[in-house]
Amino acid sequence: MKTMSLCVTVNGESKQWTIAPGDLLLDVLRREGYFGVKRGCEKGECGACTVLVHGKPVNSCLIFAAQVEGGEILTIEGLAQGDTLDPLQEAFLDHGAVQCGFCTPGMILAAKALLDRQPHPTEEQVREALAGNYCRCTGYRKPVEAVLAAAARRKVPTEVAR
Amino acid sequence: MFDRVEAFYRPESVPEVLRLLQRSKGQARMVAGGTDLVVEGDRSVRFLIDLTRAGLTYIRSRDTTCVIGATTTLADLEESTAIHALAGGLLSRAAAACGSVQNRNLATLGGNLAHGSPAADMATPLLALDASVVVADGEGRHKMPLAEYFGRAWQNGASHALLIEVRVPMPPQNGRCGWSFQKFGRTEVDLSLVNAAAGLQLDARGRVKWARLALGAVAAAPFRALPVESLMAGREFDHSLLAEAGEEVMREVQPIADLRASEEFRRELSRVVAGRALEECAARAGCSL
Amino acid sequence: MNTTVVGKNLRKVDGFKLVTGGAAFTDDVLLPGMLYGKILPSPYAHARIKRIDTSKAKALPGVHAVLTYKDVPRVPHTTAGQAWPEPSPYDTYLLDSKVRFVGDRVAAVAAESRALAEQALRLIDVDYEVLPAVLDMEAAMDAGAPVIHDEPDSTKIFDREHNIAAHIRREIGNVDDGFREADFIFEREYRTQRQQHCMLEPHVTICWLDGDGRLMIRTSTQVPYHCRRQVAMILQIPVSRVRVIKPRIGGGFGGKQEMLLEDICSALALATRRPVKIEYTREEEFYMARSRHPQILRMKMGVKRDGTVVASHLQVLATTGAYGSHASTVQGNTGSKVLPLYRAPHLRFECDVVYTNTPVAGAFRGYGCPQGFFAQESLADEIAYKLGMDPVEFHRKNAIRLGDVDKLSAQLGEGKEGLPRVIRSCGLPECVKRGAAAIDWDRKRQSLPARAGFVKHGVGMSCTMQGSGIAGIDWAASFLKMNEDGSFFLQVGASDVGAGADTVLAQIAAETLGVSLGKIIVTSGDTDFTPFDTGAYASSTTIISGGAVKKAAEKVRAQVLGVAAKMLAVPVENLACAKDEVFTTTKPRKSVSMAEVALQALYQEKLQIMDGASHYNTDSPPPFCATFAEVAVDTQTGRVRVVHLATAVDPGVAINPMQAEGQVEGAVTQGLGFALSEELMLNHTGWPMNPNFLDYKIFSAKDMPKLTTILVETEEPLGPYGAKSVSEVPINGVAPAIANAIFHAVGVRIRKLPIRPEDMLRALYEQQPELKPEEALVTQ
Repeated sequence: MKTMSLCVTVNGESKQWTIAPGDLLLDVLRREGYFGVKRGCEKGECGACTVLVHGKPVNSCLIFAAQVEGGEILTIEGLAQGDTLDPLQEAFLDHGAVQCGFCTPGMILAAKALLDRQPHPTEEQVREALAGNYCRCTGYRKPVEAVLAAAARRKVPTEVAR
Repeated sequence: MFDRVEAFYRPESVPEVLRLLQRSKGQARMVAGGTDLVVEGDRSVRFLIDLTRAGLTYIRSRDTTCVIGATTTLADLEESTAIHALAGGLLSRAAAACGSVQNRNLATLGGNLAHGSPAADMATPLLALDASVVVADGEGRHKMPLAEYFGRAWQNGASHALLIEVRVPMPPQNGRCGWSFQKFGRTEVDLSLVNAAAGLQLDARGRVKWARLALGAVAAAPFRALPVESLMAGREFDHSLLAEAGEEVMREVQPIADLRASEEFRRELSRVVAGRALEECAARAGCSL
Repeated sequence: MNTTVVGKNLRKVDGFKLVTGGAAFTDDVLLPGMLYGKILPSPYAHARIKRIDTSKAKALPGVHAVLTYKDVPRVPHTTAGQAWPEPSPYDTYLLDSKVRFVGDRVAAVAAESRALAEQALRLIDVDYEVLPAVLDMEAAMDAGAPVIHDEPDSTKIFDREHNIAAHIRREIGNVDDGFREADFIFEREYRTQRQQHCMLEPHVTICWLDGDGRLMIRTSTQVPYHCRRQVAMILQIPVSRVRVIKPRIGGGFGGKQEMLLEDICSALALATRRPVKIEYTREEEFYMARSRHPQILRMKMGVKRDGTVVASHLQVLATTGAYGSHASTVQGNTGSKVLPLYRAPHLRFECDVVYTNTPVAGAFRGYGCPQGFFAQESLADEIAYKLGMDPVEFHRKNAIRLGDVDKLSAQLGEGKEGLPRVIRSCGLPECVKRGAAAIDWDRKRQSLPARAGFVKHGVGMSCTMQGSGIAGIDWAASFLKMNEDGSFFLQVGASDVGAGADTVLAQIAAETLGVSLGKIIVTSGDTDFTPFDTGAYASSTTIISGGAVKKAAEKVRAQVLGVAAKMLAVPVENLACAKDEVFTTTKPRKSVSMAEVALQALYQEKLQIMDGASHYNTDSPPPFCATFAEVAVDTQTGRVRVVHLATAVDPGVAINPMQAEGQVEGAVTQGLGFALSEELMLNHTGWPMNPNFLDYKIFSAKDMPKLTTILVETEEPLGPYGAKSVSEVPINGVAPAIANAIFHAVGVRIRKLPIRPEDMLRALYEQQPELKPEEALVTQ
């Protein structure tokens, strides 16, 4: 099989990987041990494989790895600083927004992208931001509450990431 | 799934894209957002050509035209101030109704149009706005009305020519104008069972100066409902005109029946959705029924 | 109740790894040399394999095994993860020479990559003799219908010649007499659809042989112990040679109360001597896993003029698909947990569960009750309306109450006679009261339908119940041992599938031992290291596994107090433990920390403080639920939007109220899909038409109504710290509450699920809205 090299920054670390030209980003990330990127439907419908590419949430099952050459990727593994959780992660735990946890990484990342751009969202904006992340456990009420609580808790970043 | 892919190209210019397309002799697929390509899962693909670095991501507002590059994402359209200013933000609203945030961050305007889906949500507002497209092939660049592009795409398959950009003429700013995009899906995040885009200008006495109406997902390709438009021109905007327009819409649509809805339901919905679009236009133009 | 850990909104004990993306789930491992397994699904709804040639597939480099029915033992079994002896028919084979639905197993391969495995499947050459198929459950029992299970060696099938997997007929009182006593009789037919679990993590199993050649199964299961027993039986190896490991599970909802991939994945691992993973794609999950039993229900109720229900008769025709997994038990529940909601002296339940050449049904949250309550609560609303009664009043008058004995349960147990159910706790009246208040029932019932415009609002309600574990069958064991730092290892066979069992069980242990939650380290669902548990189903974990944990913790606490008594030189009776220490309850106050007790025990007394306990109940206390819905019906498009859904649940005592609320909200969301949008559709040849999230529509964050969740706590004598259960009951009442609200809004009854816009619009066109109740009364 033909291979090519891929240079990306994942969670702030530079990586150089050998991939196949037809590899999807989801498969590459999981192969490299980023298990927080979940395989839920492989059709871009469920959002469990959400990662941030240049700060924007995308379904990693719909994007070829080769497309993100030179790009910056954030997965759930890169959100906490050691044992210090991101306010979103804290809020998800405190509000019972995590049940099975399978959709949680994608949902938290989608929420992070929202809060980075819109530090004080309305409930409607939160629901819009999470509409691409199916959850079969929670009924979304607690995740939405958690995002709103995290927004209230989070210090507004001095530099708003784009 | 794409295990037979031999090479992934990231061309940085349109000529380079065209050269690669020619060289791959039909065994290549163009990748922009990938949202349709990957879902389709065509196992026979041998070459992938990434269009997103070919310089086609732009929104340029000129005096009479707004030009949108083919790899501009739906998220870009949703957020662009230039697009917000165009026809009361019609394109932004249509873009925001497509899929989820994740989908809109990847999906491109070109992909939405070139894929030839009858339900493509961006097609109807662009048809209503009289947009044209520029395509490129080995022989050069050609401009054609969007409606003609859909006709050709359905005859020849869309992949022969590369969609470069979409040109949207600035709609008239004077007078009481209103635009609307309406969509009906089974749930909030869904493809359209029916969608409609409409524009309307009313004169001082509440008469329709002109009307535009495009419908999606109720025929083989999205289309302009020209008989409806001419029926409305010069008439007073009221319930009976809306009812007449609705009847005409039901005559014009040619919906299919599938697991998502019956033909009958789609026909009925197209009347309702078109009516709501026209009503919203009128409301935005200052005339509420 | 004066508690410090129980009843508190504490974080999940396994939460940190879930929010940080730590490797937690079945597939979050990379084993060296792991192969990818893949199952070849049948393209035909009903066919015999005349010839199967695997030579080309086997010859493909990188393919390590190709298995057909010729290569594996033929052991009739059920895939239902139930206690032995399972009540479900033994009608399933690891691989067979006959296929019975589109998606049935034809062969299995193991190869070095997913792509190679897929390629190998395409190289398997199969000649099928296509047989006539029966897809329609109403035709399955007809004379001349194709017999789906004509194999001689399957057992426990009720009537194979007529495709009847199970048949139930039970009666208390005399229903015919009851109907003679009634002033009015109402009878209606209801239909429910094939709903799929759609847990976000599809089924996935990884099998390998350890250094001693023992079979290791890491799998997404709700039933590790049943799974171990079933795999050992099917592959004819001793149970002791099998270990089942349940890591974190990405949702189950009953879909993983099934031995689904473990047998075939194990067979591939044994054949290749290498680790093998099989993971369903989303598409496979839709039709090769399990779904809710579709039912046609005929509900007949006889009432007195004052609204008293005297007799109920429910006739059900259900299909279990091609195999009888949970056939008798799901449908048994449709009777036993639904009819006794009303105190009618005469109840009859009749049911045929038929085979069809369709995807296999199985356990699914609610377990037969969502179907039954849709029928019963819709009809109850209709009766109340026609008698001019408020549905709330109808329920107040007729619903089961404290001290009542449900005798139907005694007749309808887990596939056999059961045990009578005594209502020892009942918060239903309070649920109705608070639910009604939350939705502003009295005002909206009067004001809403009159609203002008094409969008009509209405409110509706329903009452439902469930059980808490299977009486006399579900049981669990737990084990606790103490560490030097005063912490405890809690080992439970219980399977946390995402609903928070580990946390709830740890809270029960911590409360009983007087330590903080952080001092309990839970290991769950590993058949080598945790004691037996029947598994996570039937709303059993909190009450049954929790009961076992409480017992074990009480025994361990006694040991702790014994050591502390020596250290403090006081009698054991004068000691108590709380806040991580043991202290005297008499003056002067003296105390030792848990850590000091542990050190004393381990290094001075040479004693490992540890103990275990087993627990079961002879009754299944029902949790109760009242559901109130406000809907807005768009009469032009047929779209039914739920504006507000208020759910009041009596779960006994909520061990972790935040988690309990989460169970309620998740359940009602699946209930919303059941009511309005979800259905796995098959075409005329049995092919699934929408096995994907594009066309099988589940609710997203944007589709949700306002949710109000009310916990009405009662104290259940049979439950640990008064707990009953919560995860299933709230799903039952959503569909009828919505259907009843639709009637309130537009005067049209919908008796078929899901209520899609098209169905709603058609009903609006076809039905004359009912406006005058008194004219519609049917007398004998």
